[in-house]
Amino acid sequence: MAAAIRRVLRASRAWSAALRARAAPGAQTLRLIYTTTAVQKRNVAASGPEKYTEAFIKKQIEEFNLGKRHLANMMGEDPETFTQEDIDKAIAYLFPSGLFEKRARPIMKHPTEIFPKQRAIQWGEDHRPFHFLFYTGKQSFYSLMHEVCGKLLDIQKYQDRLRAQGLLAENRKLINLTGSRWLSKEELEEMLVEKLSDHNYSMCIQLLERLVTLPCCGIEEEYVLKFRKELAIQLKKMVIEPLQYDEQGVAFSTGEGKRKTSRATSVVYDNGSGKIIVNGVDYLCYFPVIQDREQLMFPFQFLDRLGIHDMVCTVSGGGRSSQAGAIRLASARALCSFITEKEVEFMRQAGLLTVDPRVKERKKPGQEGARRKFTWKKR
Amino acid sequence: MLRSVKGVICQGPKLDSGYFLHASARAWLSAAVNQDVQIPAEKPRKVFRTNESNPANHAEQHEGQHYSIPLQEVNVVFPHGLPYRFQMQMKTFNESCLMVRKPALELLGYLKNTNFAHPAIRYVIYGEKGTGKTMTLCHAVHYCAKQDWLVLHIPDAHLWVKNCRELMQSSYNKERFDQPLEASIWLKNFKTSNDHFLKEIKTQQTYMWSKRESTEKGRPLGEVVEQGLTRVKNASDAVGVVLKELKKQCPLGSFRLLVAVDGINALWGRTTLRKKDKSAVSPEELTLVHNLRKMVGNDWNGGAIVTTLSQTGSLFKPRSAYLPHELLGKEGFDTLDPFIPIQVSNYSQREFESCYQYYLDRKWLQHERASTEEGRKELLFLSNSNPWQLERISAYL
Repeated sequence: MAAAIRRVLRASRAWSAALRARAAPGAQTLRLIYTTTAVQKRNVAASGPEKYTEAFIKKQIEEFNLGKRHLANMMGEDPETFTQEDIDKAIAYLFPSGLFEKRARPIMKHPTEIFPKQRAIQWGEDHRPFHFLFYTGKQSFYSLMHEVCGKLLDIQKYQDRLRAQGLLAENRKLINLTGSRWLSKEELEEMLVEKLSDHNYSMCIQLLERLVTLPCCGIEEEYVLKFRKELAIQLKKMVIEPLQYDEQGVAFSTGEGKRKTSRATSVVYDNGSGKIIVNGVDYLCYFPVIQDREQLMFPFQFLDRLGIHDMVCTVSGGGRSSQAGAIRLASARALCSFITEKEVEFMRQAGLLTVDPRVKERKKPGQEGARRKFTWKKR
Repeated sequence: MLRSVKGVICQGPKLDSGYFLHASARAWLSAAVNQDVQIPAEKPRKVFRTNESNPANHAEQHEGQHYSIPLQEVNVVFPHGLPYRFQMQMKTFNESCLMVRKPALELLGYLKNTNFAHPAIRYVIYGEKGTGKTMTLCHAVHYCAKQDWLVLHIPDAHLWVKNCRELMQSSYNKERFDQPLEASIWLKNFKTSNDHFLKEIKTQQTYMWSKRESTEKGRPLGEVVEQGLTRVKNASDAVGVVLKELKKQCPLGSFRLLVAVDGINALWGRTTLRKKDKSAVSPEELTLVHNLRKMVGNDWNGGAIVTTLSQTGSLFKPRSAYLPHELLGKEGFDTLDPFIPIQVSNYSQREFESCYQYYLDRKWLQHERASTEEGRKELLFLSNSNPWQLERISAYL
C-alpha cells in the first residue's frame, strides 16, 4: 500500500514537474509582461505551482504603494487620501493616449487586480493535500456544493422545528431577489479560482435556486447574496430637466446632441407651428436633402407632436448627415421635458436618446484605408 | 350652366370673346359667388376646385382654389412658358389646373387698373426658390390672353445666355452676336400664340434682309416672322424687328401689349458663352438680349411689363439669393427701377390643404399613409409648405 502511495506521489510529482516544464517557457514570457486578468486566458486553475511567488506579489504591492505616494506628490495631492480614481486621472493626464481600445492604455492598479489570482500550493511538505476533496480536481467547487447543501438541510431542520411549534406561517423570511442576478460562469470561476464546466455551473445555480425557494431561507440571506450581482437600471442615470419659461410665458427647453464631429444645441418652444430655424436659416434651405429633414422630423413624429413645437438650433462641425443626426439627438433630449416618463422610455427604446458611437475608423499602415488593402498583385 | 356658356364662348372668335366676357362678368361673378359659398358646406372634398376658369373673374374667395384651363387653350396660350414639371403633370392628369394665389390676384388687380396712357409699369415677381413665381406669371399671361392682349412671352431669358451651340456674328452690327436657334424657336412659339395679331399689325418701314430679300413697308408682321423662320440666319434680327415694331405701334392704341419675361436677371448677369478667342461674351453683345433690354424700358405706353427673377437657371449666383438687388445686380436694378415688386412665398395653411386635396383627388399620392392625418403632417413638415418641394415629394409617393 505504501508502494501504491509512493507510486501515486511520484506520478503526481511527475505531473507537477511536467506542468512546471510546460509552464516554464510560458512563465519566461509572462514574467516580463504584466497583463490584466481579462486579457490573459482564463488560467485560473493555475494547475500546479505558482508563476508569481507570494514574495513577488508582496514586493509588487509595496512598489505600488510607494509609486502611489510618489504620484500623489507629483500631482500636488495629499498622499494619505489618494484614491484609485485619483490615480486613474493622474495617469490619464501624465500619459495621454489616443488609442481607441481602453484596455490598451496605460494603467496603474493594485497588483491584486493585475496579477491573476492563484492558489497557494495545495499540499504540505509530506506531499499530502490539505483539502479532503483535493483529488476531485475541483476542490473549491465541490466544497461549495457541500456547503450549500448543508445550509439547505439546516434551513429544512429549522422549518421542521417551527412547523412542530406551529409558528411556520408567521415566520416566513424570503430573500429579495429583484434587481440582481446570479453570478455568471466567468464570475463564479473567478471567485473559486478554479475552472468549471457548464454542467457544474448549472448544477450550482440550480441548487441555489432550490435554496431560495424555501420559505425560511432568510436565515442564510447574506450567504446567498454573495452569489448575486446588482443590475444597473438604465433610466435612473438620465436626468430630465424641468421646463423653463421665457418672458411671454411660453414653455421651452434646451438639449444638446452630437454625432461624429458635429455638436448641436437646440431650444424647443411650446405653442408653435412646426417652424425650425437652423443657424439662422430656415431648415428647408439649410438641409436641401430630404433625408436630413426626415432625421429632424423623427423625434416629433414619434411623439406625434409635429405641428406643436417650434425649434431654434445651432450646429457646427461635421458634414450634412452628421449635423442632422446631432440636431435629432438634441431635439429628442429637449423634448424629454415636455413628455411623460413612459414616453421617455419609449424614445430610449426607439434609439432616439442614445449617442451614436460610430466615428471614422483610423487608417492603418500597410493598408490603403481603414479596411481596404492595397491591390493584391500576384507578382 | 357655367360650362355650357363657356363652351359657346370658346367657339366664337377670339376678339369678340373678350367683350362678351366683360358684359356678362358681373352676372357670372354673382353666380360664382353663390355656387362657391354653398360648395364648402355640402361637398368639402371639392373645396380646392373652382369652376371659374376665366382669370378676369378670380377674386378673393377663389384664393387657394384650383381652376382648370381647357387643353386647346393651353396649347395656344402657352406654347412655351409653363415649367417642365408642370407640363409633365399636365400630361399625367390630362388637365391643367392652376392655383389662384394672393400674389397673382394682386397682380391681376394692378393689370385690370392699368392706365394705358401712362408709361408701361414694370412688375417684378420675386421670392424664394420654388414658391411659384413662374406659375404666377403664367396666370397673368393667361389673363391677358383672355383679355385679348398681345402677349410677348419669353419663357426663360437664361436660355439665351447659356448653352448656345451656334453663335454667329451679326450681319446688322459687327460687334454683336446672333443666336439663330433660340431665336427661331421663340419665333415659332410666338406665332402660335399670337397668330391673329400678326395678320393685322403692319410694318412701318422697309427692312432689307439681304440683297434679294426684303420686307416692304405696310406688310403684315407675320411676314417678318416667316422670314425669320425660313431664313434662320436672320432669325435674331427678325426678333429685333418684331420687338421694335410692337414697341412703336403699341402707344397708338390698336392693341395692348404684355411683355412677360421669366428670369429677367439673366439680361444683366454674366453669360457662359465665349468668343472664338476664349474671351467671355457679355450680355450686351447678344442681339436678342440687346433688343429685349430695349423692350423692358418704360419709355412706351399701352401695356404692361411683368417679369420674374429666377435663381434656378441663373449663372454665378448663390442658391440663397432671391432678392431683386441680389439677383439683378446694380446695373439691372437701376435699369428696372422704378418697378412694383410682388413677393411670392410658400403656401399658407389653406393653400397647402388645397394642394394636398388636389393630389389626393387626382390619386397622385398612392401611399396608404398619405391620406391619413399623420401623412398630411409629415408632408407639411418635409416640404415646409414649399410648392416645389411638395410637388417633388408627392411624385415619389
